[in-house]
Amino acid sequence: MPGGCATPMAASPSRAESASKGTSPSAHDVRVVHAAVKGRLRLHVPWLRHNPRAARALEAGLSGHAGISSVSASLYTGNILVLFGPDVRVDEVLNLVAGLRVEPGAPVGRRAPFPVREAQPPHRGQVSPAASCPDPAWHALSCDAVLLRLEAAPDGLSADEARRRLHRYGPNELQLAVQRPLADIVAGQFKSIPVLLLIGSSVLSVLTGGLADAAVIVGVIAVNAVIGAYTEAVAERNIQALTRLSAPPVTAARDATTTLVNLSELVPGDIVHVRRGEYVPADARLVASTDLSVAESALTGESAPVSKDAFAVIDERAPLADRVTMLYRGTVVTGGSGVAVVVATGHSTELGRIQALVSEAAQPLTPLQRQLQSLGHQMVLVTVAVSGAMVFIGWLRGYSLLQTVRTAISLAVAAIPEGLPTVSTMTLAKGIRGLRERGLLVRRLDAVETLGAVQIICLDKTGTITANRMAVQAVCLDGRRLRFADGAIRDGGEGEGGPLTDGLTALLRVGALCSDAVVRDDGTGDSRVDGTPTESALVQLALDLGVDVVRLRADYPKVSHLERTEHRMYMSTIHATPEGRWLVATKGRPDQVLSRCRTVVRDGVARELTPVDRSTIETENESMAGQGLRVLGFGYAEVEAESLTDETPLVWAGLLGIADPIRPGIRPLIEAFHRAGIQTVMITGDQSATACAVARAVNLPRAPELEVLDSTGLAGIPDDLLTALASRVDVFSRVSPSNKLQIVRALQRAGLVVAMTGDGINDGPALRASDVGIAMGRGGSELAREVADIVLLDDDVTALVDAIAEGRTTADDIRKSVHFIISTNLSEILLTLGATGLGFGVPLNATQLLWINLLTDVFPELALAVDPAESDVLARPPRPPDTRLIGRRDVPRLTVDATVMAGAGMASYVYGLGRYGANGGAGTMAFQTLTGAQLLHAFSSRSEAHSALDWGRPSNPWLGLSVLTGFGVQLLSTVVPPLRRVLGTVPLRAGDIALSWGLAGGSFVLGEIVKVVAHPPGPPTRDVERPHS
Amino acid sequence: MKRDFIFSSESVTEGHPDKLCDRISDALVGQYLRRDPMARVTAECAVSTGILFVAVRLGSSAVVDVPFASREVIRDIGYERDGISAFNAKDCTVMTTLSEFDRAPIDLVDESAMTDADLDHVVARDQVTVFGFACTQTPSLMPLPVWLAHKLARQLATARRQHLPELLPDGKTQVSVEFRDRRPARIHGLTIVTTLRDARGSGADRLRERIRESVVGPAFDGEEIAPDERTRIDINPEGVFAGGGPAVHSGLTGRKTAVDTYGEYARHSGAALSGKDPSRIDRVGAYAARHAARNVVAAGLASECEVQLTYAIGLSHPVSVQVETFGTCRIEEDEVERRLLAACDFRPAAIVRRFGLRRLPATSSDGFYATLAAYGHMGRTDVDLPWERDDLADQLRSR
Repeated sequence: MPGGCATPMAASPSRAESASKGTSPSAHDVRVVHAAVKGRLRLHVPWLRHNPRAARALEAGLSGHAGISSVSASLYTGNILVLFGPDVRVDEVLNLVAGLRVEPGAPVGRRAPFPVREAQPPHRGQVSPAASCPDPAWHALSCDAVLLRLEAAPDGLSADEARRRLHRYGPNELQLAVQRPLADIVAGQFKSIPVLLLIGSSVLSVLTGGLADAAVIVGVIAVNAVIGAYTEAVAERNIQALTRLSAPPVTAARDATTTLVNLSELVPGDIVHVRRGEYVPADARLVASTDLSVAESALTGESAPVSKDAFAVIDERAPLADRVTMLYRGTVVTGGSGVAVVVATGHSTELGRIQALVSEAAQPLTPLQRQLQSLGHQMVLVTVAVSGAMVFIGWLRGYSLLQTVRTAISLAVAAIPEGLPTVSTMTLAKGIRGLRERGLLVRRLDAVETLGAVQIICLDKTGTITANRMAVQAVCLDGRRLRFADGAIRDGGEGEGGPLTDGLTALLRVGALCSDAVVRDDGTGDSRVDGTPTESALVQLALDLGVDVVRLRADYPKVSHLERTEHRMYMSTIHATPEGRWLVATKGRPDQVLSRCRTVVRDGVARELTPVDRSTIETENESMAGQGLRVLGFGYAEVEAESLTDETPLVWAGLLGIADPIRPGIRPLIEAFHRAGIQTVMITGDQSATACAVARAVNLPRAPELEVLDSTGLAGIPDDLLTALASRVDVFSRVSPSNKLQIVRALQRAGLVVAMTGDGINDGPALRASDVGIAMGRGGSELAREVADIVLLDDDVTALVDAIAEGRTTADDIRKSVHFIISTNLSEILLTLGATGLGFGVPLNATQLLWINLLTDVFPELALAVDPAESDVLARPPRPPDTRLIGRRDVPRLTVDATVMAGAGMASYVYGLGRYGANGGAGTMAFQTLTGAQLLHAFSSRSEAHSALDWGRPSNPWLGLSVLTGFGVQLLSTVVPPLRRVLGTVPLRAGDIALSWGLAGGSFVLGEIVKVVAHPPGPPTRDVERPHS
Repeated sequence: MKRDFIFSSESVTEGHPDKLCDRISDALVGQYLRRDPMARVTAECAVSTGILFVAVRLGSSAVVDVPFASREVIRDIGYERDGISAFNAKDCTVMTTLSEFDRAPIDLVDESAMTDADLDHVVARDQVTVFGFACTQTPSLMPLPVWLAHKLARQLATARRQHLPELLPDGKTQVSVEFRDRRPARIHGLTIVTTLRDARGSGADRLRERIRESVVGPAFDGEEIAPDERTRIDINPEGVFAGGGPAVHSGLTGRKTAVDTYGEYARHSGAALSGKDPSRIDRVGAYAARHAARNVVAAGLASECEVQLTYAIGLSHPVSVQVETFGTCRIEEDEVERRLLAACDFRPAAIVRRFGLRRLPATSSDGFYATLAAYGHMGRTDVDLPWERDDLADQLRSR
């Protein structure tokens, strides 16, 4: 976020601040960082940074004090967070802190040879635990001792006691990042270096007598501040809305019964039950555990789950990661279950401490924002240099000092890109809003721009590419193969929609009868099938093809059935037929069912199965299995009741293949990714046959060959080998979710920007490690959603294409705005320096420069910031992640653009000199031309390669409107007398206005010609090669 | 020509990494041909530490689960999860590269349905010189050194499965035979190198004794020439290796061409035999050459015979057919050549048709070709190989 929200903010005047300033002389070094929340004080302690001794002294000294409940010191920031009760006054805390001063241990003049370990900045996804230890060391105490100290019982607290404790310890809530007050946001607008320079300029203007200039400068600052504050406030609100997540209730024991308790009502001493997939609701000491494992990466950064054991013996000084008797809030149970007694809630939990420490870091600047910031600083340097040059030239030419200083100031004001921070905030916020409309929730501001740079996307097979259910895909009977999709026959275009053949009917009848799946009428006339995925798929197919399963089952009541066993891999059911005979229906492993069969019906005639028939069926079976289908064989027999035996020969009904169907829209999605130069990778735990079949069906590989890495243990592969392989692989099969992290890391080591989809608990680490983690909103686990950067609210992956387009557009728009602002500011500098240097005098006065600034830098630029997507946004490769906003190759174009605009201004000025003399008319002409040229240049800036007159491109009505407004306002400047007075312009003849604007138009045309010559129109070049192969 | 000399040949067991690759390659060829006899497929493997690379170039619509089939082979060979070895069927990583190409119309015509004119349309796609050899040193008409080396290697594998579970499937053997007047006279020495799953708890001497009992003894059962008291028998001369197979050394398809053929006693082509479908002349040509040489010897025309066939790209008939009998010929060598050309059709499609190479996989449970990968493609007595039949002998005898 621009505007320095990353730096600690002084709180509004409070008791704390007055205390620190006045009463206590020893506390004058200690600064209050944040005191807005009652009972919570963040202080900056200057001697604390990189001084572990001081941290220990502070934590020990303060936590020993009555009323202070928690202390955490950060060696990195030098800040200390103190939580205290209502009886403690803020100035007391300050005095205490000042009294605990400990200077760094190293002798004066000698610096530590290496940075202190704690001095590592907190890394994303990895937070160093607070240096403090809870008191007492719960992890080292025995279960009984813990229960005793907490006055808790294994069957839970009483409801009354819980209420009392809730009152005493407060709710089990974590203060999320505090929303920045509007005042903060507004104040932030005045804290960037460019704006400070503007403020300095206005002061200088006042001193040099330029009251009007000062007023205009202040006006410029104010307009920028208002726009900036507004966009930031909106963005802030959006982000705040995203960080709030609903928490499920917790299973806890109260009054000796197991009940559900709201997360926030949990208190120390509560007995909680946790099981696989759940969050740990508070810090707790285990009292029982069964194969319990917990992913603590949120706390320790360790991605592998930790095994927990209620009865392990732990040293008192064991680090957090080794305390296997403890559960910590915010971690996730990945296996087993456990019972634990809560020892700390809310802010007293380890997570609470860490969150309190890291929340001050707020949202980090996105890479683009960082670039913008440094660009702003560079522009400031350029400005100072140019202003100096201006004063020097003026002095050489013998102009009055006052005049040159004022022009230098205004030149500085003109050249400063004060709109830059606003542009990026606005563009990113627009991106987030746009994605929200498409059903994507963006949880991190920079995820939008990172999306635009994604080079490889790892897709989960199940749930992302496929629908995560079973459906019949193919049937093989009578030596024919039928394909199914969406419950209808797709027989290569033939036989669709026709009546069912006898063979198929017989097969469907066996499938519907030989099944434990239950068919229910859901009241609306549709039937719902409940059963195992396979059986449900069979019954569903029968229903889809018009078989009345309910009636069929009523007509053929089941009298007996034979379960499938380890040795008999098929099941049989026996039904009474309406004719009083018995029907045997069998389904199961094809080879075993086939061995029970003796006949087959071909063209309505039963005949013996020949060895050739059997071998053909075997081959079909192998081939269907090879295509990733789960294949079942079916047989039946209708016999007289007395002749029924276990070995009754059956009639072969056919083979049927089942698979998880591919979701609609995936194939075009993959194609779109490829067109956009993005590699696609599928990750699955399935066998490679299934995986390959799906990969081929969706056309996953970009290259002609399909590369499959089949492994259950990627751990065996050396890192460098995996790095080399990973970017070539299309399908990772049989990998476990925990291997996804390795895959993501390997791809990143290969230099790729990685996006990754996931929905399971085990996907968490990989989602977090990837550059853009994408979680399913509905089907996904809560953890996946929480660590993801983007949540697909409708589980619709196809929206990702829109997201990538949006991300690329965002980056494009920021670039366009920056290029516009730099080239126009440069044109002002060139014109002023040029005219002064050539001895034509100063063409534009300070107020005019500021006017141009206000008119062109703000409105067209903001319109550019919301420019619609380029038509080729999804037809070009992703921008390399290290592309600079202004690179070496941009310099010539910016210079040409600026020179053309300055040249037009110059021509206009020279013409004016001849016509009006040096008494204002020439300046007014140049003023008109330069403003016009800059306004028109906004159209030019929409594309680096396409002509502004290329009507095929999506239009940006905002830009047209803002430019039109700009011209209107500019006209006023020569027409309205008071404005004329302020700007120092003179009335121009209509013809000269037309001429000056004509010159502006000329510069626009010239600029466009240069652009077209440099980029001859043609089909967009497309990179079809893999970026890394 | 030297009459008295010592010659050594080596063999490796099926678990040797190079052989493992050959076997996987051939298993894949077999699997594809089982599903589609007209499949064109080239399968090549490389294996190193924990990872197996398989590259399959395929012209067929048949589908084979390549990683699954590869793991089956690894498991059959005996690399199963034992908690010690890093390389096993379950835990190893299989990296498959599958590329497909379209077959030419001629590729879809079954050789068995071709007319004589059609056979001419199937031309050699590779330039290759292949050699076939046969001699009377053993009943299988193979040179004795490689025959014995294979027997030892095979017995080593059998012993491992039956009595020596501590052994890994990776092992190699070498047999040196003393020749007098170009006839094997005695065993000069033999070497057996084995690898162990785990070095703990098994003494090198005890192991040596057990291998002598269960490998060397049975291997020479029924052999005319057996080790005598002067024969040097080295079993693990450099000590016992703990760990072996792909976990320790890497392997590659087609690196054991001498083991596949005549143990360097005779010339062999540099082209690999494994991993190629029957449309590859560098594979089937070698079989045809062996068949021809074998029948020359079986017909009694010579006691040693080498047949050389050279194919050029774009031609169906070999550009050169040479017979060399090392001075053992009972008739003119040119006459042998003439009779051979009259008796056998060496055109690629004719060889495929004669040997039924496309249909063999469907008749065998392991897809036929995988069997060939270890213990030699030539001179096998455990399987009925079409090129080991003496069906041309009568024709060659009669002028």
